[in-house]
Amino acid sequence: MAEINQVDLEQLLNCALCPNLCRCDCPVLQVTGREAVAPAGKARLAAQVQQDFMVWNSELLEAVSNCLGCRNCTVLCPFPDLNLCDELLYSRTGEKKAGFSLPSWEPYLNNLKRYGSPYGQKTADQAVKVAKEAEVVYYAGCTTLANNPGVLDAAQQLLKKAGVSYTLISEDCCGYPAETWGDLELAGQLAAENCRKIAESGAKVLVTGCPECWQTFSERYPYWGHELPVKIIDGSTYFLNLIKEGQLKPEFIELKKISYHDPCIWARTAEKISEPRELIHKIPGITIEEPVYNGKETHCCGGGRMFQLSFPVTAAAVAARRLNDFSPVATIATACPFCREGLLQEGRKVLDLVEILALSCCNEND
Amino acid sequence: MNDYIPTTVQESRVEQPLIEKFSRKALEIIGEDNVSSDQADLLSTCRDFWPVNSIWMLEGSVPALPQLVVWPCSTEDAAALLKLANELKVAVIPYGEGSGTMGGVVPIYGGVMIDLKKMNRIRSIDKESLMVNVECGMNGALYEENLNREGYTGGHFPQSLRCSSVGGWLACRAAGQFSTRYGKIEDIAVTLEAVLPDGTIFSGRSVPRTATGPRVDQLFLGSEGIFGIITAATLRIWPLPEKRHMVTYTFENLEESLQAIRLVMHSGARPAVVRLYDAQETGHHFPELGDKRCGLILLIEGNSKIVDAEAAVIEKIAMAHGAIEEGPTHVEHWLKKRFDVSVASTLFQKGAVLDTIEVSANWHNAHSTYIAMQQALMAVEGTMLASGHYSHVYPDGAALYLTTVGFPGDDKIGFYKRIWQAAMEACLAEGAAISHHHGIGLHRGLWMKDEHGAGLEVLRSIKKALDPNNIMNPGKLGLAEVSTWQK
Ligand SMILES: Cc1cc2nc3c(=O)[nH]c(=O)nc-3n(C[C@H](O)[C@H](O)[C@H](O)COP(=O)(O)OP(=O)(O)OC[C@H]3O[C@@H](n4cnc5c(N)ncnc54)[C@H](O)[C@@H]3O)c2cc1C
Ligand code: SF4
Ligand code: SF4
Repeated sequence: MAEINQVDLEQLLNCALCPNLCRCDCPVLQVTGREAVAPAGKARLAAQVQQDFMVWNSELLEAVSNCLGCRNCTVLCPFPDLNLCDELLYSRTGEKKAGFSLPSWEPYLNNLKRYGSPYGQKTADQAVKVAKEAEVVYYAGCTTLANNPGVLDAAQQLLKKAGVSYTLISEDCCGYPAETWGDLELAGQLAAENCRKIAESGAKVLVTGCPECWQTFSERYPYWGHELPVKIIDGSTYFLNLIKEGQLKPEFIELKKISYHDPCIWARTAEKISEPRELIHKIPGITIEEPVYNGKETHCCGGGRMFQLSFPVTAAAVAARRLNDFSPVATIATACPFCREGLLQEGRKVLDLVEILALSCCNEND
Repeated sequence: MNDYIPTTVQESRVEQPLIEKFSRKALEIIGEDNVSSDQADLLSTCRDFWPVNSIWMLEGSVPALPQLVVWPCSTEDAAALLKLANELKVAVIPYGEGSGTMGGVVPIYGGVMIDLKKMNRIRSIDKESLMVNVECGMNGALYEENLNREGYTGGHFPQSLRCSSVGGWLACRAAGQFSTRYGKIEDIAVTLEAVLPDGTIFSGRSVPRTATGPRVDQLFLGSEGIFGIITAATLRIWPLPEKRHMVTYTFENLEESLQAIRLVMHSGARPAVVRLYDAQETGHHFPELGDKRCGLILLIEGNSKIVDAEAAVIEKIAMAHGAIEEGPTHVEHWLKKRFDVSVASTLFQKGAVLDTIEVSANWHNAHSTYIAMQQALMAVEGTMLASGHYSHVYPDGAALYLTTVGFPGDDKIGFYKRIWQAAMEACLAEGAAISHHHGIGLHRGLWMKDEHGAGLEVLRSIKKALDPNNIMNPGKLGLAEVSTWQK
């Protein structure tokens, strides 16, 4: 994979030479107060290495890796072709890569190599093959399987209720954490395994509730040279369509008001802003109370780019900051296992949309 | 380890054992999360948005490196850190958000960078007296957003709003784009809290005015970190405006338009935004207006009846000076693009040297200073462009803002120094002041003696009295005893 993850030096320098115009939008900077992790701060360090003025060391790698991939810096960035988080990733994993990882990442990389999941054995055990010759593969993702397997149960209830012919596969991690931690070879191996298993399933559609998996399948796999032989759909859109087609019939539930937290990737990359809201509106009796930053301007939960494992203290601080944007009594709905995990602090009630929909569509007797 | 050869003036760094002693004690005061000698932290706080830093960055050199970075989380932390620095005679440099354009944070003698970003809370809002008490490290855009959510505005919108701190505004005597209505930061500031070099905490009175001797708080406005750390401030706020009126006029030439603005200011009308561009900049920013006439954009806001009355007064004056009205769209365009400085990144990469130079003139020399500075800049070999606009106006004069771009080849620093020498000489010869709002930092210190005359010695005496060990941001504001950064 020699040709991938190439830095666009002109774009990186555009950022390095910018007075950090988006510093107010970068959650990592805002919670750490470190100039080194400001958007242009990271770009400056990365650019110095890419221009051979410096060589990687663990301090530089730690700073440049301090990016959630949330893309909030792109919202008002004056450079339309600059995706800073990609350039930072490429700078430490591409041609002039660091070539080593931080000690705190090692156990997770080892888990990935051994079990196909950064979380270790626990997740791998969840992988069950349900049916052959199904229309749909539901791919839960390692973080859902490790932290909240209830979402997989809820998704299965909904798929059964709607009469969808579906299967699960023995999931390997999508590969995104491996890329994040700089092991592109491992990322490629995991991708190849998933492609093989999905192809073998014979399914035509892949549904995932994890935005990081979605992004990896739809953007990174083709980039890495792996094409999935299926249509990739996010969970919100897929279940919304099942409602629209009458295959799911949401009923009244006692939730009244919920606040929807837009996961960064769904909102800014996939531009799935109206679909989750439309889905919520289909559930009788629920109204939405928007948090301070929403839609395309959503703020990260702190879970992007595996921060909950790589930089847990920063991840928790970003989540705590994001929680200030919600009413203290709000029930928070989201559609991402990292967001749920991050926002589940200070006794907050956080549910995945799939869990809410299952409550509304599938009563206990199902 | 990466090799760094500091490019400039770092000739008498603080001795490393002293830094280590400072570091050990600082750890006891503020804890390990708030003390760093990490290379990434040192490299990232050694520079601001002084163009020379951009030139050096592209050449792979750094101006000077701090030896430690610390983050106070409270006024008490800041006080304890300064007391310690004073005892050990260790140089310290306050760091806001690094958007200064004059090298104000460059640690020319090494020392400890005091990054203030962890002091970033709004402490209280007094809705009755329309004041807010805010910590120094709060980011400008987040400050404004927080106020907007409560129904208020801070009225201070420097172009660097999104990348500068409240403390930086006060320390540099900043001016926002809406300043003709809301005032500059010194008008907006009711008072401030500061930590003196020996660790004493000074807190000014949050009252509208006093006649209790010279105001000590005002000494810190524009002090650029040489007298102490501004830790918090009480600032005036305004209810969000009821109405906004936007209009553009074009005039045949700069003299005519300057006359019109002067009369507007004498009429008592106070539009929030008044920006008058020379023909070159008019064509550049608003191509639809062409590059033959001078564009004036105006934004009037506040109580709707007052806004209507001001708009009528202004229209009458403009028309009497041959203006053509062009409607609101150019102002809307400016509002959208006003924080975009992407051209700097692009031009520096193409080998250009670019800078902006803002000075302060009265009405009698507002135009002649523009002509003199523009001609002086254009006369420097390598200069491709020198254009200008007036961005802040007063009954007694205006701020003139020149933008200059040159392609000097390899000798970028030499060229940079030559354009500044030319511009400053022309400005001083015209009787204008060498800075309206970007401040002095390291570079403009070279003309402080010409600017202040005997006043510079007054500043030096105050500095000596407050900071006998010269620990606070040494070498800035033209007070360097030894410096290799010369004209
Ligand atoms: C694109 C761009 C546009 C700009 N537009 C404007 C404009 O419209 N109007 C304007 O006035 N300026 C403007 N500036 C200049 C700059 O943004 C201001 O001077 C700003 O006030 C600096 O704030 P900062 O927090 O970035 O300070 P820094 O750059 O971090 O520091 C500036 C100086 O102040 C000192 N300092 C910082 N904080 C404190 C503190 N709390 N206590 C004591 N000393 C402190 C530092 O030591 C340094 O000497 C612009 C700059 C850029 C890059
Ligand atoms: S991402 Fe864009 S706005 Fe942010 S610092 Fe970089 S160039 Fe500036
Ligand atoms: S992607 Fe998010 S975390 Fe990364 S630099 Fe941009 S705003 Fe900061």
